[in-house]
Amino acid sequence: MLFFQSLLSGILTGGVYALAGIGMSLVFGVMNISNFAHGDLMMLGMYLAYFAFTLLHIDPYLSLVLIMPVAFLFGFMLEKLFINRVIHHPHQNQILLTVGLGLIMSNTALLAFTSDPKILTTSYSSSAYNLPGGIFLSVPLVISFLITCGITALLSLFLLKTSTGMALRATSQNREAAQLMGINVAKMSAIAFGIGTALAATAGALIAPTYYIHPLAGHSFLLKAFTICVLGGLGSVIGAGVGGLIIGVVEAMSSTYISTDWKDVVVFVLFLAVLLLRPQGLFGKKGEQ
Amino acid sequence: MKQIALIVILAAMAAVVPLFMGENPYFTGILISVLMMAALSSAWNLLGGYAGQYSFGHAAYFGAGAYTTMILITLYNLNPLLCMAAGMVVASIIALITGSIVFRLRGHYFALASIAVAEIVRLSVLNFEFTGGAQGILLSDLSLWGLDLNSKNPFYYGMLLVLVVSLGITAYLRKSKTGFYLQAIREDQDAAASLGINLSFYKNKALLISAALTSVLGSLYGLYIRFIDTSAVLDLRLSIEIILTAIIGGVGTLWGPVIGAVLLVPLAEMLRSNFIGDALVKAGLVSETSGMGLFLKENLAHAHVLVYGIITVLCILYLPKGILGLFRRVK
Repeated sequence: MLFFQSLLSGILTGGVYALAGIGMSLVFGVMNISNFAHGDLMMLGMYLAYFAFTLLHIDPYLSLVLIMPVAFLFGFMLEKLFINRVIHHPHQNQILLTVGLGLIMSNTALLAFTSDPKILTTSYSSSAYNLPGGIFLSVPLVISFLITCGITALLSLFLLKTSTGMALRATSQNREAAQLMGINVAKMSAIAFGIGTALAATAGALIAPTYYIHPLAGHSFLLKAFTICVLGGLGSVIGAGVGGLIIGVVEAMSSTYISTDWKDVVVFVLFLAVLLLRPQGLFGKKGEQ
Repeated sequence: MKQIALIVILAAMAAVVPLFMGENPYFTGILISVLMMAALSSAWNLLGGYAGQYSFGHAAYFGAGAYTTMILITLYNLNPLLCMAAGMVVASIIALITGSIVFRLRGHYFALASIAVAEIVRLSVLNFEFTGGAQGILLSDLSLWGLDLNSKNPFYYGMLLVLVVSLGITAYLRKSKTGFYLQAIREDQDAAASLGINLSFYKNKALLISAALTSVLGSLYGLYIRFIDTSAVLDLRLSIEIILTAIIGGVGTLWGPVIGAVLLVPLAEMLRSNFIGDALVKAGLVSETSGMGLFLKENLAHAHVLVYGIITVLCILYLPKGILGLFRRVK
C-alpha cells in the first residue's frame, strides 16, 4: 500500500513539476536559451498566490485567472527588455543574464518579504480523499493535478491548432527557416518567454498551498525543472510532461524508501545518469548534443 | 615573458604590504578576501575563460578542499599541507567524474551538470554525520603545527601564493600548445575536433588544474576562518560570485579576474558592513530613526547579492567583455 500511496502522490506532485518543466522546455525550444531565472519566476508565482489569498481573499486556485495573465505580461516584458538582446550571444552570456535576473528577483523578494517562510493555509489544506485500501490523496494536490492537466491540454490545443501555436513550433524547429517563411521570430520569442513565465508562475501558485513560501525557494525548483527538461529531451514539450511525472514519482519513492533528506540527491544523480546514458533524453532527437 | 615579469613585480609589491600595515586585522581581512576571490576567479578562468566551459559549480571544489582539510585536522590532527594535498585529490576525483560525464556533450550541458554535481556534494555534506551536517565544523585547536593561526599574515601569503601560481599557470598556458588547443575548443569545438584535438582530454585537463587550485583555496579558507558550513563553502552563490568576478574584469584574460576581485570584494564588504547605509545617515540624507533609515540599516547588509545581480545584468548587456575588453576596444 505504501508503494501505491507514494506512486499516486508522486504522480500528483509530478504534474505540477511537469508544468514548470514544460514552460522551461518551450523557452528552450523556441529561443534556445536555458532560463536560469525559471525557479525564481516560480517563486514569484508562489508569492502572488499568497498575497492574492491573504490580502484579496481569493482562493489560490481561482487566483490563477489573475496570475497567469500578469505573469505572461511580465515574461513578455522581460524578453523584450533583456533576453532578446542576447539571443545571438554565446550561450554562456545568456545563462549569466538569466542568472542575474534571477538573483535580482530572489533578492528583491528577500528585501520586500523578508526571509521568514510564509505558509498558505486554506480550509482544505490538510484534508484528503480516502481511497479504498487505505490510500490518502491530499485535496490540494488533487486539485493542482487536475488544473495542470487542463492547462496542459489547452496549451497542446494552442500549439497544435492555432496559427500562433504553429508559428511557435516552426520557430522551435528551425529559426532561420521560420523567419524566411515570414514568421516574426522576435515576437514568437517574446510569446514563448511569456508563456514559459506564465507556466512557471502557475506551477508556483499551484504548489504554494502545500509548500513553504520562501524567497530562495526557486533554487531547488530550477534544478528540478532542468532535470525534467533534460530527461524529456531539451526542447520537447511532451518529453517535459512525461519527465515531470517521472521526477515526481522518483522523488516520492526515494522519500518513502530512502529518506526525505536524500530525495533531491536521488533526482540529481538521475540527471547525471541521463546525461551519461541517454543525453538526448527520452523524446529528444539524437545528434544535437 | 613580459606578463610573467609583471606577475612577479606585482606579487613582490603585494608581499611587502603586510609589513607596512602593522596590526590592522580588519584591513588585512579584506585584502585576504580580495586575494582569495582573485585566485578563485583566476582558477575558474582557466576553464571558463580559455576553454569556454562555464562551470557553475566551482563551490564543490572549494568545499571539497575546505571539508577534507577540516575533517582530517579535527579527526587525526594531520599536517595542514598533507590535508591540502588530500583536498586536492578529493576535488580532482569530483572533477574527473563531472568531466567524464559531460565533456562528451556540448553547449548547455556542462553548465547544468556542474550545478547538479555541486548540489549533490552540498546535500551529501549536509546529510552525512561525519561532515558535521548543518552545524558545520569548528576548529578550536589554535596551536597547529607551530603556526600562529591567530595571525592573519600566513593566510595573506598563502592566498597570494596560490594567486601567483594560478596567474603563472594561466600566463604559461596561454602561449603553450594546451592553451592554444583550449582556445580553439572555445572558439569552435567542431573545427578543433576536425584538426585532431582530443576535446575531452584537454577540457578535463583544464578542469583538473582549475579544481585543484580551487580546492587549495578552500583548504586555506577553512584554516583561516576556522569554521565552515555548507552555506559558507558549498553554496551556489559562491560559484556565481566566482564567475561574476571574472566576467566583470574580463573573461579569458590574464588580469581580468584580479581586476574583478579588486572592484567587487570591497564593494560587497561595504554593503555587508553597512558602510553605505551609515554614510547616508552621517551625510544627513536619511535620518537614522526614520522608517527609511531603519529599513536601510536592517536590510542593506543583505542586499549585496542583489547588487551582484544588477551588476551581472548590466555587465552582460553593456560590457560583455568586461572592463579589460573596454580598454581593448579603445585601443
